[in-house]
Amino acid sequence: MAPSVNTAKELSIFLVKAMFAFLEAAIFALIPKPLKNVAGEIVLITGAGSGLGRLLAVQFAHLGSVLVLWDINEEGNEETRRMAWDAGAMTVHAYTCDCGRKEEVYRVANQGSLVSGLCYYHNSLKPQVKKEVGDVSILINNAGIVTGRKFLDCPDELIEKSFDVNFKAHLWTYKAFLPAMIANDHGHLVCISSSAGLIGTNQLADYCASKFAAFGFAESIFLETLAQKQNGIKTTIVCPFFIKTGMFEGCTTSCPFLLPILEPEYAVRKIVDAILQEKMYLYMPKFIYFMVFLKSFLPFKVGILVAEYLRALHFMDSFTGQKKKD
Amino acid sequence: MDMIWHTSVFLGKFLYYFLESLFYKIIPKKKKDVAGEIVLITGAGSGLGRLMAIKFASLGAILVLWDINEEGNMETCRMVKEKEGVKAFAYTCDCSNRQEIYRVADQVKKEVGDVTILINNAGVVTGKLFLNTPDDMVERSFLVNALSHVWTYKAFLPAMMKANHGHLVCISSTAGIVGINGLSDYCASKFAAFGFAESLYIELRVLKKSNIKTTIVCPYFIKTGMFDGCTTKYPFLLPILEKEYVAEKVLNAILEEQTYLMMPKFVYFALLLKQILSSNMIFALIEYLGLDTCMASFIGQSKAGEVQTEAERKQL
Repeated sequence: MAPSVNTAKELSIFLVKAMFAFLEAAIFALIPKPLKNVAGEIVLITGAGSGLGRLLAVQFAHLGSVLVLWDINEEGNEETRRMAWDAGAMTVHAYTCDCGRKEEVYRVANQGSLVSGLCYYHNSLKPQVKKEVGDVSILINNAGIVTGRKFLDCPDELIEKSFDVNFKAHLWTYKAFLPAMIANDHGHLVCISSSAGLIGTNQLADYCASKFAAFGFAESIFLETLAQKQNGIKTTIVCPFFIKTGMFEGCTTSCPFLLPILEPEYAVRKIVDAILQEKMYLYMPKFIYFMVFLKSFLPFKVGILVAEYLRALHFMDSFTGQKKKD
Repeated sequence: MDMIWHTSVFLGKFLYYFLESLFYKIIPKKKKDVAGEIVLITGAGSGLGRLMAIKFASLGAILVLWDINEEGNMETCRMVKEKEGVKAFAYTCDCSNRQEIYRVADQVKKEVGDVTILINNAGVVTGKLFLNTPDDMVERSFLVNALSHVWTYKAFLPAMMKANHGHLVCISSTAGIVGINGLSDYCASKFAAFGFAESLYIELRVLKKSNIKTTIVCPYFIKTGMFDGCTTKYPFLLPILEKEYVAEKVLNAILEEQTYLMMPKFVYFALLLKQILSSNMIFALIEYLGLDTCMASFIGQSKAGEVQTEAERKQL
């Protein structure tokens, strides 16, 4: 029961902030926001051994960042390291890590703050054997798996694994790296969720649930940093539709104009730009914004109707997924 | 030509459904009869679960009550049986344990029959800043609030599919559609529950199991003790809800086979705003509504802490 003066004051503050935010959004809709410099930032990418993670690593290498690459697949991760090194990364550290296992995440995270194993140095720098990797300043939770089966056909262990890798890994990496970011009031948390983290999708029940969880978690933590006035810590949540990395091999889209299966290079470019512009949400393609908007107010039956019209309920029908490299 | 026909059919249906939904906003939909249905409620030992149990009992449903708290669950059972002729079965079950869920589910199938209305209501909340929340509590939130839904679906959905008859109810939360400061683990779990229920609904639709309904409920904080200490700046827009009101609304949503239910009505509007406004505008709104400080004086259910240590002691 606040006195009317207080209420009026709060309302005025809100209106001013809202107006300012509105103008800011309008301006940045026309003039692209300046891209921040990430040279020298320590960028950790999970799932760097292939697909999107690999492309992100190469991009950040171009931008002069220090790279820390995590993947369960040692071979793929080494290949990414070589590519990042060739692209001009300052230093690249590669660690084999099963992100789905909490103890392993913590172990490798702590390892990274000691003298690390092999790493490459740029020719122009003096070899620095006892260099600490240091505090991760850009954390990109990208590792993901998909089972792509009908729910009742999906073994419990695979469902649990989906959650472990796609969501729980985010919990443990945040626990490992967020404290230093808070101490330095400097950091960027990037969550690679999915459009399936915004809208339930047929034959992706466990994947959807895990991607929804990752989204909600990242959003919540952001609000925590906002409430704690930790303004140096940014968050970017990415929700792409299917990307042609092999992860969703076999999936089809019936309306490639509105919902194309995205080219990896395009997706990576947009993600890196979003990080450099410190954008909070990135949905790809743009039609997803519209779909989520429709979902928020259309009666459910109508929403389903739209989905059926776009034949959106059958994306996963011919899913085969990533062929395992044995 | 084909595309024109397809588009026309779509537009026709679109208009029809839109008008239908407007119609039902004025004239309430007919409520289905649940007498004789087997209703399973997790977390029936207290709060919302207990109230829903009582309401379903008064409609003649057969009740299966699950809760980790045996005492609370038996009390609910007793209250439910106050009305004559009500059949109710209480089982102690720790929903954070997959094997226990399956074991008790088998017991239910043998002793009671196939569950036709599954209400995933059990929930826990820690309410601390993420870095202050111990790992095991983070994991527990997720196990109870989200994973238990997966296992109960696995246990009871096959029979529903065979009979093409059932109703899946997910008690998610407003914290399952927007992130909230101080509720990171809870939000993540409620988001997951929402996404899971929604995905399954679409999957069932594609499989043409049209008589298996889904209702996803997203209430704001409810006065059950679970969120004791939480504050709201503008009770006119975002009141801390009375549990009787919530239970009644949830019941009606199930009986009218409504797919989404958000309470209070302002949540619908907030969700729409979230998609239109820029992030900074949304944050200004969050600050204004006091959503960034609503958890600041959170105490929560002190009982929950006791129950947990009791369960842990039993495991030793």
